Amino acid sequence: MSLHLPCPNCGADVVFRSPALPNRVCDYCRSMLVRSDAGVAKVGEVAALPFDVSPVQIGMRGRADDNGFEVIGRVRWAWTDGAWNEWLLLFDDGANAWLGEAMGQFMLLREQPIGKVRTRALREIANGKDARPGTEFQLDQEKMVVADAREVVCVAAEGELPFTARSGWRLYSVDLRGRHGQCATLQRDDQEVTFYKGRYVTLAELAPRGLRAIEGWTLPSYAA
Amino acid sequence: MQPDTAIEPQPAPAARALTCPSCGGSVALRAAGYTVHVACQYCSSILDVTDPQVKLVTAYNQHLAELEIPLGTRGVLRGVEWEAIGYLQRSEDGDYGWEEYLLFNPYHGYRWLVKVRGGWSMGEALTVTPDWLSYDQLVVNGENYTHFFADGEARVDYVLGEFYWRVAVGERVKTADWVRSGVMLSREENASEVSWTRNAWLAPAEMRKAFAIRPEAIWPPLPHQPSPWGAWLRTGAKIGALAFAFLLVFALFFGGTSWTAAGSFPVAADGREQSVTLGPIVLPHRYQSVHLRADVPQLENGWVDLDYSLVERKTQQVYEAYGAAERYSGTDFDGPWSEGSRKAEVSIASVPVGTYDLVVEYKANRWSGASGYAETAGWMDPAAAPVVQVEVRRGAVYGSNLLIALLLLAAPLGLALIWHLAFETARKSESDFAPSGEDDDE
Repeated sequence: MSLHLPCPNCGADVVFRSPALPNRVCDYCRSMLVRSDAGVAKVGEVAALPFDVSPVQIGMRGRADDNGFEVIGRVRWAWTDGAWNEWLLLFDDGANAWLGEAMGQFMLLREQPIGKVRTRALREIANGKDARPGTEFQLDQEKMVVADAREVVCVAAEGELPFTARSGWRLYSVDLRGRHGQCATLQRDDQEVTFYKGRYVTLAELAPRGLRAIEGWTLPSYAA
Repeated sequence: MQPDTAIEPQPAPAARALTCPSCGGSVALRAAGYTVHVACQYCSSILDVTDPQVKLVTAYNQHLAELEIPLGTRGVLRGVEWEAIGYLQRSEDGDYGWEEYLLFNPYHGYRWLVKVRGGWSMGEALTVTPDWLSYDQLVVNGENYTHFFADGEARVDYVLGEFYWRVAVGERVKTADWVRSGVMLSREENASEVSWTRNAWLAPAEMRKAFAIRPEAIWPPLPHQPSPWGAWLRTGAKIGALAFAFLLVFALFFGGTSWTAAGSFPVAADGREQSVTLGPIVLPHRYQSVHLRADVPQLENGWVDLDYSLVERKTQQVYEAYGAAERYSGTDFDGPWSEGSRKAEVSIASVPVGTYDLVVEYKANRWSGASGYAETAGWMDPAAAPVVQVEVRRGAVYGSNLLIALLLLAAPLGLALIWHLAFETARKSESDFAPSGEDDDE
C-alpha cells in the first residue's frame, strides 16, 4: 500500500503510507510535499524542529484500543506560554489518531466530524465565537469544561500528515476536559474547523516499542 | 532495496545549554521543549526560552538560596529516577512557608517534591477530577478524602531552575486540601484553571535513600502524615492476642501434670461412711493448685459424697475440699431420661510445697424416690463391686500469672495507643474543620 516517490526537491525517496495522509515533510530537505493524482508537488519548506527531550519519535510503535500503531508524523505547536507536540499515529487498521504531548502528559485524540457535535455552545465556538475558560457543557452525556482557549501557531512538522502544516500557520484552539480523563480539542482557522475527542493516556499503557533514547536516562522498564 | 547499513542512532542529548542574558552564566536546560521559564542558577534572573532567542523576563541579582537538593541532582523514588530541575518557595502571604522541587524524567513527565515543616511528599498532577461524596468528603480513583484546609492562598516567594509554565514571584493561587492517611489531595485555582495534585507522603527513610535528606522532627504532624503507631498497633495487637491465646492454651494443657490415678476403693453396700488414705502426693512448687477427680462407674440413681483432705505429713497442715457425684435415670411418658454425672471434679488452690496424704471420706447413697426399688441394693449391690476411683492432677500456672502476662502484653500496646491518639489529635487539630473524635483511618 505504501507509495514510494522521489522528492521533487532533492530526489530522496519519500514514502506515503495512507491515502488519508497526502502531506509529508521530506526527511532530508524538509520540503513540505503534497501528493495528488498528478504526482508529488512541493508546497513549501518546514522550519527545523527545535531541540526537545520528548521520549516519542517517528517509528515508535505501540498499542491502543486493541490496535497496534506506528508514530509516522509530528506537528509542533506553540502558544504564548509554551509549546507541545502532536504525534500522528497510523493504526494497523488504517485509522489514524493524534498523541498530544504537553507538560509531560499524553492525550490520545481522534478526529470527529464537527457536524455530528450537538452541543450548541461548542457549535457556536466552531462558528467563530470565543470560548471562555471554565465554561461547562454537556458533550455526549459527559460534562466537559473549557480548560483553555488560545491562539496557537505551528512551529514545525515532520513525517506524514493529514494536512499541510506550514510553519507560522495560526489557529484558534480550545481544549476541553472531562471529569474522568476525557479530553477534546476544537481548532479553527478562517477556512476550516476540526474537532478531536479522546482521553488522557500514560506512555506505559501504550506499551511503546522504540522509544527515543535520551542520553543519561534509562529507558523505563515497560519499554524494555 | 539495500539493507540499511547505517550505524545505530546516537541517543538524543539530554540537556541544552544557553547563556543567561543578564549575567552571562551558562544555564543548562534539562527539559528542553517543555520548559518555558528558567531562573538562572547564578543570578536568579528569569529567562523565557519559548523563543530560540532567550529573553530576559526579570533581572535579579539576589542571594541564591542554598538548596537541600541542588538542581540537577538525581534520585530514585518509588522505582523511578528523577532529576530536580526547578525550585519554588511558597507561602500564605509570608506565613507557613514551604518548598517545592520540580522533578523531571523524560519518560515519566513531572512530579513535585514538596517539603512542609520537615515532612516530604511527592505530588502528581491528576488528569481526572474528584467527585463529591458529602459536604466534606471527596472520592477520586476509588480513594476517599476528608476536607482539611479551606480557603488558602499560596504565593510564590522565590524561584530557581526551570518550569513548564511562566512562573513569577508574587503569583498567587487559591488552595484547598483534602486528606486520607498517607495522601493529601490539593486543589489550586487561578483565574483560568483548576488543577488537582495527589501528594503521597514520603517516609524520612525514602527521602534519605533517594536524595540523602536528613530526617527532621515534625510536630504537630502533617495533615496526611500516617501515625507511626498506627501500623505498629495493628500488628502489635495481633501478635499480643496470639501470644495470649498461646499462653492460655499452654496453661490449660501443659500447665501442670496430667491426671494420674491415686487409688480405687470399694463402696459398702450398707451405705456407711468410709475412709481411705491415698498418697504420698509430692507437690514440688512453692504453690500450686491440686485438682481431684472422682469417677464412680457403677453409679445409677444415687450419689456419693466425697470429703477430701490433703494433709501435709510434717506440718499436719490440712487443705480440704468437698465433692459429690450423682446420677439419676428413669423412664417417663417422654421416654428414657438421665441427669447428673458419674464424675465429680474439685480443685484446691494455692497448696504449698510438701509431701501430702490424701484422705478421702466418702458415703454412698441410694435414691429411695426411684419407683419402688428403694428396698433393693440398686447400684450399691456388692455383686456389681461398685468402686470409687480418684485421680489427681497438679496445676502450675495460675490465673494471676496469666493476668500478669496479659498486663505485660497490653502495656506496650496501651502506650502505643495513647501515643497514636495524641498523634491523631495533634494532626487533626491543624485542620480548618472541627476535629471529630472518630478515627478516619480507611
